[in-house]
Amino acid sequence: MSLIELSGIRKSYVNGDVVTPVLFDIDLQVRQGDYVALMGPSGSGKSTLMNLLGLLDRADSGHYQLHGQDVTDLNAAQHAQVRNQTIGFVFQSFNLLKRMSVLENVALPLLYAGQGRARARLKAQELLDQVGLADLGHRMPNQLSGGQQQRVAIARALVNQPPLLLADEPTGNLDTKTTLEVLELIGQLNRDQGLTIVVVTHEPDVALHAKRLVRLKDGRVVYDGAVAEGGQV
Amino acid sequence: MSLVQILLESFRSLAANRLRTGLTMLGIIIGIASVVLMLSVGDAVRAFINKELSVLGSNQLIVQPGTPTENGARRRTNDSPTLTIDDAVAISRLPSLKGAAPTLQGYFQILYGDDNSNTVVLGVTPDMFALRNWKVQSGVALADSDVRSANRVIVIGSNVASTYYYRRDPIGQTLRVDGRPFTIIGVLAGSGRTLDGTDLGDLMAVPITAIPVRMPRPRTVHYINAQARDEASMGEAQRDIAELLRDRHRITGERLDDFQITNLASIAQTGEAIGAGLSIGLGIVGAISLIVGGIGIMNIMLVSVSERVREIGIRMAIGAKPVHLLVQFLSEAVVMCIVGGLVGVGLAALGAWGVNSTGKFEMALGASHVLTAVLFSTGVGLFFGYYPARRASRLLPIECLRQD
Repeated sequence: MSLIELSGIRKSYVNGDVVTPVLFDIDLQVRQGDYVALMGPSGSGKSTLMNLLGLLDRADSGHYQLHGQDVTDLNAAQHAQVRNQTIGFVFQSFNLLKRMSVLENVALPLLYAGQGRARARLKAQELLDQVGLADLGHRMPNQLSGGQQQRVAIARALVNQPPLLLADEPTGNLDTKTTLEVLELIGQLNRDQGLTIVVVTHEPDVALHAKRLVRLKDGRVVYDGAVAEGGQV
Repeated sequence: MSLVQILLESFRSLAANRLRTGLTMLGIIIGIASVVLMLSVGDAVRAFINKELSVLGSNQLIVQPGTPTENGARRRTNDSPTLTIDDAVAISRLPSLKGAAPTLQGYFQILYGDDNSNTVVLGVTPDMFALRNWKVQSGVALADSDVRSANRVIVIGSNVASTYYYRRDPIGQTLRVDGRPFTIIGVLAGSGRTLDGTDLGDLMAVPITAIPVRMPRPRTVHYINAQARDEASMGEAQRDIAELLRDRHRITGERLDDFQITNLASIAQTGEAIGAGLSIGLGIVGAISLIVGGIGIMNIMLVSVSERVREIGIRMAIGAKPVHLLVQFLSEAVVMCIVGGLVGVGLAALGAWGVNSTGKFEMALGASHVLTAVLFSTGVGLFFGYYPARRASRLLPIECLRQD
């Protein structure tokens, strides 16, 4: 069953009178439990596609079906609801809120989902246990290493138990060792919990952890298949 | 998201920028302090004037002899003593009036043993005590029998008692008015300048029949004090007196009155208007400073929103709806205003305490003013915080996340 179904997605950026097309008629299906690496050179549109998948941006045309729901024409509040319930985000720069403790950061999506503070904290602690940071909940994000911060971000992304994890260059700011640790954690989530993962990267090593490779160039899908057969990967 | 959580986050982000938050709140603090203080000053002035007027007695009318103008020339009112004790009796029987009392007055040398002074002495009837709200603090007031028998007795004010009978009981002592001995039978309570220019504490009152004043015609008086039944019947009372006196004095048609009636309620109304005007005027000044403070809040909230675009983007990405962001930023503005409002009320209380400690003026912060101020500052927060908060809530997540 497809978790993501994109059909005929187009997107251009308008800057004054200059219209720059970024995506041309993208069709893409991602099955539940898949692990997709999205690659392509700069300007290929992979980040734009990621933002569309994450409902952070809107396509100019085309349809987007997510988790059995057509989300193309939902309003801002409905999109927020879908992001909260269905999508977990992991960003290159971690994007933790710096004035909140690690535990509060992880609990925040639950608060936006309408849960009580006590329950949210309990659940957040569970997730911190799961990513191996059980004792660091009271720390502030800037007191953690990069790898630890990214683990916190992963815990926060998963706290509402979404079926989809979107990771945008998740290891871009990490060294080789922590990169491996984070990728290991993501791979484990995919294997053990059947979490669907889409990761944007320009590093072949990162893509090698995925099951499927989607390569974009100039706004079009130029390769879609197994990672091993990706040739240059 | 619970209210506790929202408030917690507001306090946290306000505390992250203490200096800025403090400076922004200063506008609200000053605004609220001045609104509360000004409304209270208006109240205090009104209370002060009302207190002064209550010394004078309420709903007073004064009937004086003479014509306001005669052939264009203003005449001294005492030149033609046209009012009599009988006029006063007739006036006191009018249904629109509570009572009327005739008065004679003279300026005499008073001898207190070795000491002496020159002062005004009033010749009155016992009715005057009720009319003017005079209370006796020791001894007794004048009685009808004192008037009938022209007894040489005198009631003195509290200042006179304390000046000339320091630590002695003045009751039973004798003083001389224009050389004639009068026995002190009572001391009036209270002091303070009344709006008719006399000080209650300096008052000296003797029976109207005993005052050594010579009038050109028998039974004539200097003026008549009258008191209307209530505030509403002041006008009616004034018309009734005029009609009665014109009748009694046989003044018909076009001929001018030989008396004039002064309405002391108009003085009271003037005082009330001064108090209300003060409240309104100063309140407006306070309100303007509150609006200026509110604009400061709006300005700083706009800055805050654009500074925290990335935070907004992150919150949106993890599921914050537009309404969550609206409430979050609105709550920061409102928290600043409420905290600023409370500090402002504290400042106003300090100001009121300072005014009171001078002892010249009595001032209290009305609970209603404090409530008004706090509600008003909440309103200012909501009003001036709404636009920045709405701006935050309408941002697109991707545009927020793209910014650094």
